[in-house]
Amino acid sequence: MLENHKIWIIFLFLLVLTGCSTEDTTPKSHDASKATNGGELVISSVREPDTLDVQKTTWVDNANVHLFDYLIGRDMDGSIIPGLVKDYTIADDGKSWTFHLRENVKFHSGEELTAESVKASMERFIKQSPVNFLAGPITGVEASDKSTLIVNFSEPYAPFIAGLTSIYLSPLDPAALKSEGDKFGNKPSGTGPLLFEKWIRGDSITFVKNEQYNWGPDDAENKGGTNVDKVVFRFIKDENTRMLEFNQGNIQIMLDVPPSSVKTLENTSGVQLHKLLDNGLTYLAINNDKPLFQDPKVRKAINLAIDRNQIVQYAMEGYAKPMYGPLSPTIPGYSEKVEKMAEQMYTRNVEQAKQLLHGAGWSNVNGNGVLVKEGKQLSIELLLTDEPVMQRIAQILQNQLKEVGIDLRITVQDDSTIRTNESKKMHDLILWQYGWSDPDILYILFGKDIPTRLFSTPELEELLIKGRQTMDEKARMAVYEKVQELLVTESPWVPLFARERITAYRDIEGFKVNPYKKIVIQDIKLKKQQ
Amino acid sequence: MLRYLFKRFCTMILTLFGVSILVFFMVHLIPGDPVTYILGDFATNEAIAKLRSEMGLDQPMASQYLSFVSGVMQGNLGTSYITGQSVWEEIAQRFPITLKLGIISLLIGSCIGILLGVISAVNQNTWADYLVSIVSLLGVSAPGFWIALFFIYVFSFQLAIFPISGYAGWHSLILPSLTLGLGSVGNIARMTRSNMLEVLKQDYMRTALAKGTRYWKVIFGHGLKNAFIPVITLIGITFGNLLAGAIVTETVFGLPGMGSFTVESIVKRDIYTVQGLVMFLGMMFILTNLLVDLIYKWIDPRITLE
Repeated sequence: MLENHKIWIIFLFLLVLTGCSTEDTTPKSHDASKATNGGELVISSVREPDTLDVQKTTWVDNANVHLFDYLIGRDMDGSIIPGLVKDYTIADDGKSWTFHLRENVKFHSGEELTAESVKASMERFIKQSPVNFLAGPITGVEASDKSTLIVNFSEPYAPFIAGLTSIYLSPLDPAALKSEGDKFGNKPSGTGPLLFEKWIRGDSITFVKNEQYNWGPDDAENKGGTNVDKVVFRFIKDENTRMLEFNQGNIQIMLDVPPSSVKTLENTSGVQLHKLLDNGLTYLAINNDKPLFQDPKVRKAINLAIDRNQIVQYAMEGYAKPMYGPLSPTIPGYSEKVEKMAEQMYTRNVEQAKQLLHGAGWSNVNGNGVLVKEGKQLSIELLLTDEPVMQRIAQILQNQLKEVGIDLRITVQDDSTIRTNESKKMHDLILWQYGWSDPDILYILFGKDIPTRLFSTPELEELLIKGRQTMDEKARMAVYEKVQELLVTESPWVPLFARERITAYRDIEGFKVNPYKKIVIQDIKLKKQQ
Repeated sequence: MLRYLFKRFCTMILTLFGVSILVFFMVHLIPGDPVTYILGDFATNEAIAKLRSEMGLDQPMASQYLSFVSGVMQGNLGTSYITGQSVWEEIAQRFPITLKLGIISLLIGSCIGILLGVISAVNQNTWADYLVSIVSLLGVSAPGFWIALFFIYVFSFQLAIFPISGYAGWHSLILPSLTLGLGSVGNIARMTRSNMLEVLKQDYMRTALAKGTRYWKVIFGHGLKNAFIPVITLIGITFGNLLAGAIVTETVFGLPGMGSFTVESIVKRDIYTVQGLVMFLGMMFILTNLLVDLIYKWIDPRITLE
């Protein structure tokens, strides 16, 4: 028989169990009346960083850059501006770079920025960063005096500038490196306008204003630390939840607004939208190792079968720019000439695509619309991730390819699986994207020691190496123009469009984004709410 | 009793051993490894080979498995190479939230479920009975994410009683627990109803009523007690399901719990973390089942555990 008190004991026990751990019960205050300076800025982001140690990851975005300063900056239009490095010179043989550092810059720990500390960070980067190829064939780093740093290479390496203007090579606080070592990511510290306060994994990261900061770069009007006292990044995966939080005013800046939510936000009063073209493209990767795709006629036919405008209009709701050439307009080295040529060659032309396929020996025998050669149907598989936008694109592509007689099978896989299939060359087509701020991205896509490389010819290989070794900016860009022309004529892949990154914001002033870095966080002020 | 516990302990070790083999081969056989995630777009052959050997991924499977198991035996669940934290640290941060969520949901689900079950049994085949059936059906079939969004919209957005998302103490857990608990109401109510109907036919119920004891006292005092044992089994099973259901709920409400974390670790191919988490959850399941069995014995001394 069951005694009543026993049931109560069970229930009480469960209640005690839930209550017997300490917790932070400070409610998140959202005070409705704030002064223009100070206050707490809340930014929502979809993807949480894996670590705040920028030398341990390939993924950096707004949530992990503001602790650090760039060695060399880029202005809003992409031109080089001083960062922690005042100026630099490159030796005539292109094998040695000399940097003069800014004085009176302090790390968050109070230690002064010296050539020694920059050297220590750089050496750590070379040793352990997953993107240490950015340092190229480096032979050594030396601090010749307190504020002069010399970097030597075994051969000229122009893309080093891409590393210097990225956050990966930002100087890290030597004090934190000493005390935390490998766990630097748990207590990250640099010279940037924000200090690290706390990270609740899966929920949020909180930063506070760096009071001693006064070395802001040229692209920020405010050279001091942030106007706001606190910046909180919240990671909310669910799209609907994020929209509700934003609409209630708990979030001032919403990053990566999906195209499908833009219409709603445009009609919400007090909300402003910011659009920025990506330094990258969404493209179709073609497996050029397969006999089917070794025939350029087939590759070109696929390219000609696709109507990019339709994709941009229906899948991206118009928030993208159709692209025909290899580089997006914001990447240095982009060539309008090549883009125009590519557009002329590959604007949709169903008849021409069909002719090319017939020329490659494919013919329509069954009358079901799918082409056949030697008894085999022209049926190819497209791999893509489960991002809703990608799935819409895939359906449009399926329809467009059907019109020229190609049967497209759609397979959704996760990122890691696709990468593995790509490096083992198990795929036909992949709906993929890249992003980088230097034309050397073409080496990362087509270079000779890249396992996932899309395509190669001896000429292309040679040009990509030459692009890395040509130190003169103008001459270097001329090399990349050749690379782009070659890629357009061979059509080893199908560029589709450059995305527009959409950010929504409200209740703030001074919002702007540097296309080559991130949000200019120092200039943002909270508006007094009516 | 001691002998029984020892036996249970031995089967637990065996079960966990099985779990370890399963999870190890699952995470090692799915395509993609941590290296593909870490290096992403910038993977050169050289970098891949270097990182794989640093992480010990180029070792033979058997030796990798042995080092994993020997780690677990020493209480070391491994270290996430993505966050750099030990799996225990990660669990310590996240498990309390999921545990609270699970327990509150369980309390909500069982209280409502048992009450509805009793009501519908006592009023068999009346409108009340049918109404409970419909409510149970709704609870079982409405998808969690839909209920979650409905609650958020009404209680957080329109009425602003609860926070929309994130974790800031108790009031953050109320809506997620309701969402999760409602899913289990239906099953518990149906189970309670059928057991209760059995019990209502028993002689001792009639005797108690004939003696003039108040009706509801008989129902809850004499009836429910005896209908309770199978319901406890179900509650035990439900608790396991709640931990699984937490994945969706935690994602929608933006709670930094175990559910959302497990999914994330799988996507990132954070194999050591996935292995550690699965071992830990396996242990939790086994312990919950043991607890349920012990509670039987404690509630109904007629049950023998041998």
